[in-house]
Amino acid sequence: MESPNEAATASPARTIEPGLKRMILIELIFPTALLVLGIYHGLMQVLYRAGHIHTRKVLGLEYYQGLTLHGVVNAIVFTTFFAVAFGYAVIRFYLGRANMKVAWLSFGLMIVGTLLAAAAILSGTSSVLYTFYPPLRAHPAFYIGLTLVVVGSWIAFFNWLPPYFVWKRDHRGEKVPLAVVGIFAAFIVWIIATIPVAIEIIFQLIPWSMGWVATVNVPLARMLFWFFGHPLVYFCLLPTYVMYYTMLPKVSGGKLFSDFAGRLTFMWLILYSAPVGIHHQFTEPGISSTWKFVHAFFTMLVAVPSFATAFVMAASMELGARERGGRGLISWWKKLPYLDTNRWLFGYFFCGLVIFILGGVTGVINASYNLDTVVHNTSWLPAHFHQTVAGPVFLSYIGMTLFLIAKLTGKEIKLPRLNVWMPYIWTLGILIFSGGLYIAGATGEPRRTNMGLTYSNPQSPLYHADWQTGRMLGSVGGTIMAIAALIFFIVFFATLFSRSTKAGTLELVVSEPYHDEQVRAVQSFTPWLAGAALLLVIAYTPPIAQTLRSNFPGARAFTPDRPTPISTSRP
Amino acid sequence: MTPALKLERRILILSTAFVVVLFGLAAMAINLFHVGLPTCLTDIKPFQKGELITHSPTHYEVHYVARMWEFDPEEVVVPVGSTVDMYVSTPDVTHGLILLGTNLNLMVVPGVVNYARVKFDQPRTYQLLCHEYCGTGHERMAANLRVVDAETFAARKAAPAPQKETSEIAKLLEAKDCMTCHSIDGSEGIGPALKGIYGRKTKLSDGSTVVADGVYLREAIVNPSARVVADFDDVMPKPELTEEEVNALVEYLENLK
Repeated sequence: MESPNEAATASPARTIEPGLKRMILIELIFPTALLVLGIYHGLMQVLYRAGHIHTRKVLGLEYYQGLTLHGVVNAIVFTTFFAVAFGYAVIRFYLGRANMKVAWLSFGLMIVGTLLAAAAILSGTSSVLYTFYPPLRAHPAFYIGLTLVVVGSWIAFFNWLPPYFVWKRDHRGEKVPLAVVGIFAAFIVWIIATIPVAIEIIFQLIPWSMGWVATVNVPLARMLFWFFGHPLVYFCLLPTYVMYYTMLPKVSGGKLFSDFAGRLTFMWLILYSAPVGIHHQFTEPGISSTWKFVHAFFTMLVAVPSFATAFVMAASMELGARERGGRGLISWWKKLPYLDTNRWLFGYFFCGLVIFILGGVTGVINASYNLDTVVHNTSWLPAHFHQTVAGPVFLSYIGMTLFLIAKLTGKEIKLPRLNVWMPYIWTLGILIFSGGLYIAGATGEPRRTNMGLTYSNPQSPLYHADWQTGRMLGSVGGTIMAIAALIFFIVFFATLFSRSTKAGTLELVVSEPYHDEQVRAVQSFTPWLAGAALLLVIAYTPPIAQTLRSNFPGARAFTPDRPTPISTSRP
Repeated sequence: MTPALKLERRILILSTAFVVVLFGLAAMAINLFHVGLPTCLTDIKPFQKGELITHSPTHYEVHYVARMWEFDPEEVVVPVGSTVDMYVSTPDVTHGLILLGTNLNLMVVPGVVNYARVKFDQPRTYQLLCHEYCGTGHERMAANLRVVDAETFAARKAAPAPQKETSEIAKLLEAKDCMTCHSIDGSEGIGPALKGIYGRKTKLSDGSTVVADGVYLREAIVNPSARVVADFDDVMPKPELTEEEVNALVEYLENLK
């Protein structure tokens, strides 16, 4: 009998240098271990909010501290580490070797940065949530730690440029492999996104948190943050799209319906993922409604490649299903390898896509200008972004983490039957969880609030009975998600600690295109980069000028636990 | 053109058309229902005091100050049919303001005043909440806006609601910001609830237990960091109090059952 996932998704294997292998393994295992902590706090969130807990803290960790940890670990640390590790795997697999000294430097910065930020959060001095809006002030180690993680990831990207140019020189006239285009798009978006937030952190927040300057320009800081905050999700999403375009068709048993659509999607996201940040600031003062409208329009355009991807993936899966004997207009859906342990990655990809249909549509709702006033900062928002980041992104990342680790160490997936069910249990959980949050959010239930103390506490004069259904669904769904995550961790660690059965190799699933055409426009980054730069200048120059020109009084620093500014609070 | 490329083109056109139609609907709604978004106001200096200003019997202006962790004014009453211009500003951190049951949803950003106009056609008590994380007391930052019928409003004006009884000690508790963290009705806060605190066996953060007698309470007021109650953080600043004020507070706590 052939080993799981071998026969169906056989892919070319590459030998891999021991140093690179060790680094990729640590870059995958370290954030997955941290994820245990991040997901624990996700579960605690729903329990507090549903009113199962009526206290400020549990096991010494306070609600908002746990929420900070949940956001930073899950949305920033786990995603960045995975993107770098996966990027190294893709570059080594398709192009060639990168410089290992530089690689270890980037690795070291990211690890040190994560530990610094984690220490700052765990010490209780940085409960500012992962958006760290000033003038709530975190410990300087929090800002410095996050900066190091980002700088480390930049270095990884620059380290991939030499093998890229060498490959281009040796393969003149050939198309760059689709996966490489996607990874480069991800990191180009990441560079565009992180420059403004680096400016915010280095020039505004660090000097202010150290006490070198007294006040901070909050409207400017918020604009720079959201200049980063939205492309951040596309940085998370792009490695997922790489897996969808290059692996899902093969795992389904078919071919990629359109290589061109993949390339267009990646280029389109470079162009439009950043000039959209103000759609997070629709209800804010200090930004004119004209520029809010412009950003709303660009947001609609950035949705196009995601909708196109949904069609292309459905078409690719249909090719696979028909190859496997599927018939009819609809009934071919029955022929997909939903619970096939030899093609276990299918569930991780397919479930993410299903969740993303809802996440994508609600994203368009949120960005639809005035509709945002109904849902802004309500629990509708976490319902939406859990269906993107905790849907396709999370499932594909953990699936690929398990896949890469098994291949690199030459191990078999342990508990394969449990493993194939995991994504479906997660999907059930997230649909119930988000359903509850959508319902309560549409009637104004606030997000990021320890509701167990007031709005979910029947003893409190602020108790809201009308949010009870939503809250209960939220906690049931959240608990199911936690159970699914627990199943994943059991499979992950059981596999990790099992014996190797063969030599470790670097393998990726590679799908063939159904048909191959040369479309010149999507084969070079240059025009798209130029377009992105132009759009950014158009979309951000006037609003940033507004925040600089107006005479806003600066804001002094506050810690979350007392209503007086820091400098005067302690004699 | 190959059939596949034709299909691809159709996919692209379909996707683009889908989002353009969605956006078109949103744009249409803005014009049809006159629902816009808050815009840039730079000519108003942030204010420090919350108040209700009457422009005419049907036109009011409210200045809300959102601060850690309350809205000022805590209650606003207007008659049915009023148009209310809401301005909101903050002296400390970022807050939010959502008026439940309406589409009013504003961010409150330090340094800038936010504005929206709301018309109230139904007699009803609206609750407004802070919906942006603003520190440890965020979850109890709420206020009321009451829309009443014309008779009730007129009657209320004729005989203003009786002032809350304010004793010297209540004024002191308010003046020293005690009530920001401690409650006198037994509800949980940043600091221990004061109701029934006297004589209670209290666990401290170092694991020991103390009976909260006059001596302990005096120390807890004058030097809050000396012996902190278990499960609470050592965040209370030393208050500036005269000897008489400390005596009055201890006596007050001894009788607060």
